[in-house]
Amino acid sequence: MGLKSVINSDVEVATIELSIDGKTVTAKDSVSLYDVIASTGKIIPAMCYHYTFDPFGSCGMCLVMQEGKKSPVRSCTAKAVAGMVVRTEGEDLFLARKKALEKHLSVHPLDCPICDADGDCELQDMAFQHGVTNLPNAKQKFIPEDTRSPVLDFNMNRCIACAECINVCKDVLMIDVLQFMKKDGFNQVVPKGDVALSCEFCGDCLAVCPVGAITNKFSKYLYKPWQMKKTTTTCNFCGDGCQMHLETKDAEVVRVTSPLSWKNKWGDRADTAKGHGGLCVRGRFGFEYIDSQARLVQPLLRKGDQLVPTPWLEAMHVVSERFAEIQHKYGSDAIAGLITARCTNEELYLFQRLMRTGFKTNQLDSSARYGHLNFVHASRQALGIGRSPNDWEELTKAKAIILIGSNITETNPLTAVRIKEALRVYQAQVVVIDSTVTNMARLASHPVLINPGTEGVVIDGLIKASLELGLIDEASVGKYPQAFEALKAAVSHISLEQVEAQTGMSVDSLRSTAAIFAEAPRSIILCAEGIVRQANGYQNVLKLIDLAWITGKLGQPGCGVNTVTEEPNEQGAVDMGVAPEFLPGQASFNDQAARERFGKAWNMSLPAASSGANLMEILKRCKSGEIRALYVVGENPLATLPASMEVRAALDQLEFLVVQDPFLTETAQMAHAVLPACTSAEKDGTFTNLEGRVLRVREAMDPIGESLPDWHIMTALANALGCAWTYESSNDIQAEIMKLLPGYYNLGQPRKVVPVVDPYLSGSYASEVSARYQASVSAPKGPRPFTLLMGQVLYHSGKLSTAAPGLIKIAPNTGRLKMNPQDMERLGVSEGAKVRLTSDSGSLQLAVQADQFVTMQTCFFPEHFNEPPVKDLMSVQIDPTTGVPSFKQTRVTIEKA
Amino acid sequence: MAFEDQRTTVYKVDPAHPESETLPTLRTEELLLNMGPQHPSTHGVLKVILELEGERLVKSTPVLGFLHRGVEKLAEDGTYHQFIPHTDRLDYVCAMYNNFAYCRAVEKLMNITVPDRAEYLRTIVAEVQRIIGHQFWLGTQALDIGAMTVFFYCFRDREILLDWFDELCGARLTTSWYRIGGVERDFTASLLDKLKQFLDYFPPKIDEYIVFLEKNRIWVARTKGVAVISAEDAVSFGLSGPTLRGSGVDYDLRKAEPYSAYPKCEFSVPLGKNGDTYDRYWIRVQELYESVKIIRQCLEQMQDGPIMAEVSSVTLPPKERVFTNLESMIQHFKLFSQGFDAPPGEIYCGTEAHKGELGFYIVSVGGGKPYRLKIRAPSFIHMGAFDYMSRGYMIADAITLFGTYDIVMGECDR
Amino acid sequence: MRIAVLIKKILQAALFYEIWDAMKVTFKHMFHKPITFQYPREQRILPDTHRGALALLRYDDHQERCVGCDLCEAACPSRCIKVISAEDVTRPLQRFASEFYIDITKCVFCGYCVEACPVNALAMTKMYEFSTHDKRTLLFDKKRLYDIGERHLDDAKKYLYAHNQEKNVEESREYRYYFPQSVLKPTQPPPKHLG
Repeated sequence: MGLKSVINSDVEVATIELSIDGKTVTAKDSVSLYDVIASTGKIIPAMCYHYTFDPFGSCGMCLVMQEGKKSPVRSCTAKAVAGMVVRTEGEDLFLARKKALEKHLSVHPLDCPICDADGDCELQDMAFQHGVTNLPNAKQKFIPEDTRSPVLDFNMNRCIACAECINVCKDVLMIDVLQFMKKDGFNQVVPKGDVALSCEFCGDCLAVCPVGAITNKFSKYLYKPWQMKKTTTTCNFCGDGCQMHLETKDAEVVRVTSPLSWKNKWGDRADTAKGHGGLCVRGRFGFEYIDSQARLVQPLLRKGDQLVPTPWLEAMHVVSERFAEIQHKYGSDAIAGLITARCTNEELYLFQRLMRTGFKTNQLDSSARYGHLNFVHASRQALGIGRSPNDWEELTKAKAIILIGSNITETNPLTAVRIKEALRVYQAQVVVIDSTVTNMARLASHPVLINPGTEGVVIDGLIKASLELGLIDEASVGKYPQAFEALKAAVSHISLEQVEAQTGMSVDSLRSTAAIFAEAPRSIILCAEGIVRQANGYQNVLKLIDLAWITGKLGQPGCGVNTVTEEPNEQGAVDMGVAPEFLPGQASFNDQAARERFGKAWNMSLPAASSGANLMEILKRCKSGEIRALYVVGENPLATLPASMEVRAALDQLEFLVVQDPFLTETAQMAHAVLPACTSAEKDGTFTNLEGRVLRVREAMDPIGESLPDWHIMTALANALGCAWTYESSNDIQAEIMKLLPGYYNLGQPRKVVPVVDPYLSGSYASEVSARYQASVSAPKGPRPFTLLMGQVLYHSGKLSTAAPGLIKIAPNTGRLKMNPQDMERLGVSEGAKVRLTSDSGSLQLAVQADQFVTMQTCFFPEHFNEPPVKDLMSVQIDPTTGVPSFKQTRVTIEKA
Repeated sequence: MAFEDQRTTVYKVDPAHPESETLPTLRTEELLLNMGPQHPSTHGVLKVILELEGERLVKSTPVLGFLHRGVEKLAEDGTYHQFIPHTDRLDYVCAMYNNFAYCRAVEKLMNITVPDRAEYLRTIVAEVQRIIGHQFWLGTQALDIGAMTVFFYCFRDREILLDWFDELCGARLTTSWYRIGGVERDFTASLLDKLKQFLDYFPPKIDEYIVFLEKNRIWVARTKGVAVISAEDAVSFGLSGPTLRGSGVDYDLRKAEPYSAYPKCEFSVPLGKNGDTYDRYWIRVQELYESVKIIRQCLEQMQDGPIMAEVSSVTLPPKERVFTNLESMIQHFKLFSQGFDAPPGEIYCGTEAHKGELGFYIVSVGGGKPYRLKIRAPSFIHMGAFDYMSRGYMIADAITLFGTYDIVMGECDR
Repeated sequence: MRIAVLIKKILQAALFYEIWDAMKVTFKHMFHKPITFQYPREQRILPDTHRGALALLRYDDHQERCVGCDLCEAACPSRCIKVISAEDVTRPLQRFASEFYIDITKCVFCGYCVEACPVNALAMTKMYEFSTHDKRTLLFDKKRLYDIGERHLDDAKKYLYAHNQEKNVEESREYRYYFPQSVLKPTQPPPKHLG
């Protein structure tokens, strides 16, 4: 609308003065008059306005009188100009607004009784506030409802053409899938091209729709707002830690709403840098797993081949007795434990305490082992920080972002929205380096497509390019000349042309990327699954840190090397010490002072230093028979790890396997005892998100069936094993953590961390660095021409989301391999035809599906589904330093079957 | 607690004769007697702890709260509109007057003017309710003291009016007929006929009640000079209604702060002289005649017109508009699901119910629900004077005392 | 004068005048129609306005009136109504109450739900005899409420009429709720009054 939202702190804007209702107000030049009025605390009704995007000006409600003009003006689209005299109140304005409202009401259907927005509808509020009665010539539209999309229904009879949905989709989310179209004589919102809506289904259009024109199919007709209990909690799907409102009716989750809604339309535009309050498809429509029929409602005990429902008391007796027996018979190290990072901080803390003091073993691990620990170890090693240093605001306001090895729109959609805002509002240079054409690559200013598995080589190239171009920050490298010389020597053998040949990233592109990164005042590197979940993840993160170091970005405000996490509490799992190498607070397990401190707090001596086993080691020991009993909380290694890991064989060896999970997972089916646990909607606690914020998880409903919160079960188990724990709620556990880790509960605002590079760079760096750059010579191109990639899709998160019927409806398991259409043509297969997929580990037949965003020579299968068991084709590489298994990529051959 | 006071008095055998001082004094103790809460004459579940000296009352402590239902708290949970049925259950004998008093209070808060016809309808029904209330009082009070016939006579005539209520609003006791801004339903021709018939039928019946009671020497002996309270004391105890006017204080809210259609009617406020039970009885009976007079005048003066105020932000639209008109449907949905948005502030509005001043005190902080609602229930205030008025009377007079206030525990305990 | 009064009093006392006077009343009442009646044998004649048991109504073509808008639930002062609404599987885009409960033990018979109902699906009837030995049977479910509605349809309609909820039968037919139509299904013509 010609109005630039002047929020960019880098742009100097003149300050002007104008008079609003007789008061002098200062404002920035050329911003929307509406924003200026809103900043004084006055609320003018506006149905098409939302602070997250530029004013649109269709509803005609925000009328004000401007001196010198005869008729009222729309304040949202009017620019604030110096010396303006504005009146916002008065009978004439009230009547003018009422008139504008009547225009909408006269064509609105009498749908209140069946409309899902009833009671939560801005049109209702406005009509009621303005006292509109008895309109003459009311005429309804009779437009049939568009029910073609699997998620959202469009009832254009109710639409007031405010275009909030279109604007939020276009401006905030940059998806741009909705448009106005003249149809049947009315201006209607339709999906582009008037086809069935198919998009990211983030549902933000639903959230901002002030009437019931867009409705949610999963909760359609099921509720009225006054029937529901609204609980603000944290989303359980990814590490973004979005806040959401879970609306429940008795023991049923009816819908999820976001802080972004038409009701929160007044705000400071600059605040969206901290998050615009929306949700993604998983958060908003993936709630159905909570009250799913598949939930476990009773403990199960194995009797012969069957898992038989058993009362809690009996089940706990058996579990604790068997554990005690095994502990007694084979010693403490015959027991190990795995926990998922979807548990709360309190439960993770309790789990490691249970393992270390109850079972007296250090054989424990969490699902952060699947990748995040690569980043944590590297970052701790180099910088002394065990998490991402930058928060969302810094990410949004960065001037240069290198996104490497991350399909961020699919894995962490809301972090992706931050990058989109950086692109759109703050005009950041975004370099996306990935082996697939990701959504972000399509939006980015500098998309770069590389060969699969060559991310590490790209980093080498970037460092080399920086050195060649002299993009070195003398101040940073000058302090550690020895380390810098060692680095220079280490990369001396690399040539950019060679990198280009290997990766497919051109020399120019490498140079310009290095220049963008080095020259921007605030530059951020974001690496994700393409780095941390791949072989050499640890080294590659260190390389990225090297890049940041030589360009002088370490420790600068708004700069840093970051990662995103897949599960909601992977950061919390590391912080709570659920890893054999860590104690709570990321203290090293071998650190004598920390051991003493925790030993004293727990009144128990800890297992011996340097003992313990991580995930891979545990599975190995299971197989070898060293470990006789395994306690698995929410984890599902059988369905996650490829068959080559022989997880089934390892679990078969166990004398006693206890699985504690809300669902009967593949691992649980093998268990000797299955304990029903709650989902995060039924318990209190906290999650630590990828920014390091500790966010509340609140109990929205009573536990389903006889299921119990994990902390409750663990407390009972510990007490049965002879610990005297007195926790009665997760608050008690929280209090203990607060004492042990002062300042950890940061009330949603993480403490700023300052990287300390000194011990690393002046220490053993010089001797280590040459090996780091030797390793990435080249992955030999074997006889298998294709690369099979497994990864996350937007509509799913781990295996959990497959229990949500809604998400399965949106993205069912097609069982098809995604391939580039050109590759398919070359192979002579058509859509849906069967192919044979062969890797070093095995071979299977499956159908193919064309996807133009999959690059040539690669193929993709979502990691959430095991049918057909594509994951079993993968081979596993274990990082020598961190023990992180990587199994998301392998070379395959594809033949027509 | 006061009633556990174990003080003993030295009782002189004959205080009139000083020579008895020479006699050895007898130490006696007061007798504590629990009366109620299951006593039939306590009009509900009132318990009174009587301290007796012989047969005389030294001190009586009413114990309230057996019928406490937290009505005031309930009000905070629902919309203003939803509280109307709860007011039915305050003074369950006279639901209409409670509705009336509550609606008046909310109307005062919302600053709504009720249409003329609705005011007349409200006044008529309120006076009918006053007749019912006084009949009920008369019957039960006489029954408590031992005169049974009047009870049957009163209840016979009350029945006519209760059936009339049933026809008016669908319930005999829990009426919920008043609405904020008007009334639910207009009189039909049949209702008007029946009411007119009753007005002709009723005054002779009042004469009959009077004959039955005033010729009953026992009844007269048990009411005259019993439970006397002076005008000053009555005022300082905060008594109201017939209990106050029995002492000769001319204070009637219908005259003092005229509301509804009362200022348009001529009627007198009967006053007592002695402030005893008999005077209060006399006032109530005279008020029956006055009520008939007021109803007659209202029926004459009443014109056709709307029965609900039309304030779109507060009052419900007519149902037929809800079916056809979106604005009315929105109004209907908003009012039922969220209620109307009351301005922040607090108001008190007292109404002259047949027992006394029934007041509603509403604190609003905006929004559809009252922040706090306090009910000034005359029965509760009157119980405050119970101890003072009972001292020195015989134990049997305690029954007369309950009766003389016209207490209903539903209202007293709320 | 005083002597005359005295003589009269003595005479009255001698002749038991007061007793005769009282007996006169008694005798008179022997010829009155009794105002009490023998309840189970004789039934009260209730006015149309009477607020008795609640009923759910259907249209003349047996379609359920209720669209499950839950407004009765919101309007109820004693919170005794529970509506569970859903989309009708057989008729897409039509909302209806899949379950409807009224806890009669909590109901205060204020009639607000009827007043709130935007489709006049609820009405009160003259049925008041639902005392039972088992309290649990007083949780009226949807079927029971529709049964009451069927059996007392006339009463219910009279009630709606008496309480100004509905003008007449013809009009109630016209006010039938018009549901949105799907693009996937052929559209039925809009009702007369909306066209």
